[in-house]
Amino acid sequence: MNARTQTWLGSLALLSALVALWWVASNAGWVSRVFLPTPQATFASLAEGLRADLLDFTLATVGRMLQGWLLASLVGVALGAAIGVSPAVRAWVQPTLEFIRPLPASALMPLAISIFGLSPGMVLFVVAFGAMWPVLLATVHGFACVEPRLAEVARCLQMSRAAFVWKVGLPNAMPDILAGMRLALTISLIVAVVGEMIASQTGLGQAILLAARAFRASELFAGIVLLGLIGFVSNALLALAEKKLLRWQRP
Amino acid sequence: MKPNDLPVGMAEPFLRFEDVSIRLGGREILSPTSFDVARGEFVCIVGPSGCGKTTLLRAASGLVAPSAGEVRRKGRAMTEPSREVAFVFQDYGRALLPWRTVEGNVSLALEAAGVPAAERGARIADVLGKVGLGRHGQKFPVQLSGGMQQRTQIARCLAQKPELMMMDEPFGALDALTRQSLQDELARLVREDGLTVLFVTHDLEEAIYLGDRVIALQANPGLGRPSLARMINVEIPRPRDQLGTKEHPEFLRLRRELFAFIEQGHD
Amino acid sequence: MTSAALWRAVRPWIFPLVLLVSYEAYARRAAALGSDALAPPTAALQALAGAAMDGSLWQATGFTLGTAALGLLIGAGLGTLLGIALGLSRRAAGLGFLTIEVFRPVPSVALIPLAMLMFGFGVRMELAIVAFATFWPLLLLVQAAVQQVEPRLLEVSRVLGLSPSERAWKIVLPAIVPRLFVALRMGVAVALVVAVTVEIAANPNGMGYAMMIAQQSFDPALMLAWLGWIGVVGVAVNALMLWLQRVVSRRMGAVL
Repeated sequence: MNARTQTWLGSLALLSALVALWWVASNAGWVSRVFLPTPQATFASLAEGLRADLLDFTLATVGRMLQGWLLASLVGVALGAAIGVSPAVRAWVQPTLEFIRPLPASALMPLAISIFGLSPGMVLFVVAFGAMWPVLLATVHGFACVEPRLAEVARCLQMSRAAFVWKVGLPNAMPDILAGMRLALTISLIVAVVGEMIASQTGLGQAILLAARAFRASELFAGIVLLGLIGFVSNALLALAEKKLLRWQRP
Repeated sequence: MKPNDLPVGMAEPFLRFEDVSIRLGGREILSPTSFDVARGEFVCIVGPSGCGKTTLLRAASGLVAPSAGEVRRKGRAMTEPSREVAFVFQDYGRALLPWRTVEGNVSLALEAAGVPAAERGARIADVLGKVGLGRHGQKFPVQLSGGMQQRTQIARCLAQKPELMMMDEPFGALDALTRQSLQDELARLVREDGLTVLFVTHDLEEAIYLGDRVIALQANPGLGRPSLARMINVEIPRPRDQLGTKEHPEFLRLRRELFAFIEQGHD
Repeated sequence: MTSAALWRAVRPWIFPLVLLVSYEAYARRAAALGSDALAPPTAALQALAGAAMDGSLWQATGFTLGTAALGLLIGAGLGTLLGIALGLSRRAAGLGFLTIEVFRPVPSVALIPLAMLMFGFGVRMELAIVAFATFWPLLLLVQAAVQQVEPRLLEVSRVLGLSPSERAWKIVLPAIVPRLFVALRMGVAVALVVAVTVEIAANPNGMGYAMMIAQQSFDPALMLAWLGWIGVVGVAVNALMLWLQRVVSRRMGAVL
């Protein structure tokens, strides 16, 4: 058995030990089963729920997250490229962008509720708006930091502005853009869930909130597991895409 | 120093530097300098750091504007870069697109020139063959050695089918062995394609080895001390080789002359 | 100040000022038409002043900042300690890999109902979520920082025969201070964002909640005031962290 397999098994062993601890703690009542359902109850809720409406909830949340994320990425890259290629525009606009960077996306929800009411559109708006900023800022940065030597090469080859943006600016910004999109994905999920909680929209967010209010801990945990899964899978897929697109960094 | 005296009525020289001077930060780096370059000539420019040789080259290629004076190619002022003037940068790593393969990087020059896609493959293969990278076309810059990266850059410049090639200390960042082989490769390419080359280097021997003419600049020009201090013709027969030429009496004489001059300049 | 320096100081403010002025004009018209969503910035400032006078501003701000700070202390503290341990020991890092990968992707907001169930509403619930949210980035960033400590320094510590705790205290910790501060800055930002988010979603305390209440009472001026105030607090906290980072790095002669 080589070292890598050993590490993997050891890692799995630790995880299993934690699950075992969970099993003991909940079944023996060390922690009240109101807060900590048993693993078997959680699994049962998961299986049952998926046969019922949990799958719909999951798809609704994922759908919201993806829609908002895609919209945000498109607008973010387009706007970011427009701002990033021009040092003049950047000088005027960048300080304002940096101010917006630390703002919580969810903080826009009250405003969005006033404008759009408690609707799916409201949630989508806040998801897209919140997720746009990391992509926009990363794109601006990526376009702003073009190696000056490459800019000179483009001049020597008499490349048109459009050709420069498409062939040099965009690929150069790709690592930054993808990093921004990864962050945006995390924000999309969070804001989608919060939106569902506040605006009582169909989805996992609403489902776990209702489960908690009804003291149905196993359903709550089932929902948390699914949300964790969504986070994990979406990130893994994006990481895979990133590796393919940035193959030139580590051929 | 007076420009090459041309008989009255002769056509414009291929490249003419007319009273080109450069000021940076209020100081005059290069005093008004004039000289001509004929088509097919290999002119090397040497000098200590701060003498303005790199800036002179950049001004000649249109990347920067001289503070005064003009550089004219075939009678027209070089105010903007042109595809017919290829520029080989010293920091080759930063002049290549890291996300494109060797072939992709060479292709960039063809794309910019509007060469139809169907023709590109053949031209890329041809130019890669010339620089000896025929089997490395699919590699990314990060996978290449320094010498190979510089050859990729040279290949891209050759793909432009330039009339004039500007080279800014292209072999300065390479080890001695790689430098020597690239020197010989360059000499061969220039001969094959009949290129005109302006080659900046701090290596005196390299300048004499490669050039038809060597222009020596000095730093801190002042009254009675122009930047253009020496212009010597290198009358050593071609083709040249690393061993034989460097023992040639003319090579040794020029080398001594240039060394003495540079030492003098260091006082 | 030279005119160039003056221009450079003033220019960043021109674009936002233009936006604010045009928004002011737009919102005034909207308010005149009876909108309960938009309010002009001038009205928002008035509302902010009102909240400052009657103490609600300070109380809510204090709650959010205090809870975020406590949560950060726990989450970032534990994350840093564990990060150092995992960074120093290849084996430990290998063992913990799967566990981290399983728990890390859980969005902190998914734990809001659980925290509600366990702690009810109030400080503890929000604190727990902030702690969870700040634990992971700190763990990963500190682990990476420790793993990237100049290996030459670790060799020196072996040659000098330093004990593990001496090595951690005298070599590793000072070496990671610059990157630790960068991680902490991110942790602070996350703590603040998560705290406000929890207040918006569930917790009836703090700045986020105050903003929700303003919206529900159809007081757009106050809602905008809170939104702006949250932004100002975020920027101020970030600026403070940047200043702290610069001070510390200068005293430690580090290159950031």
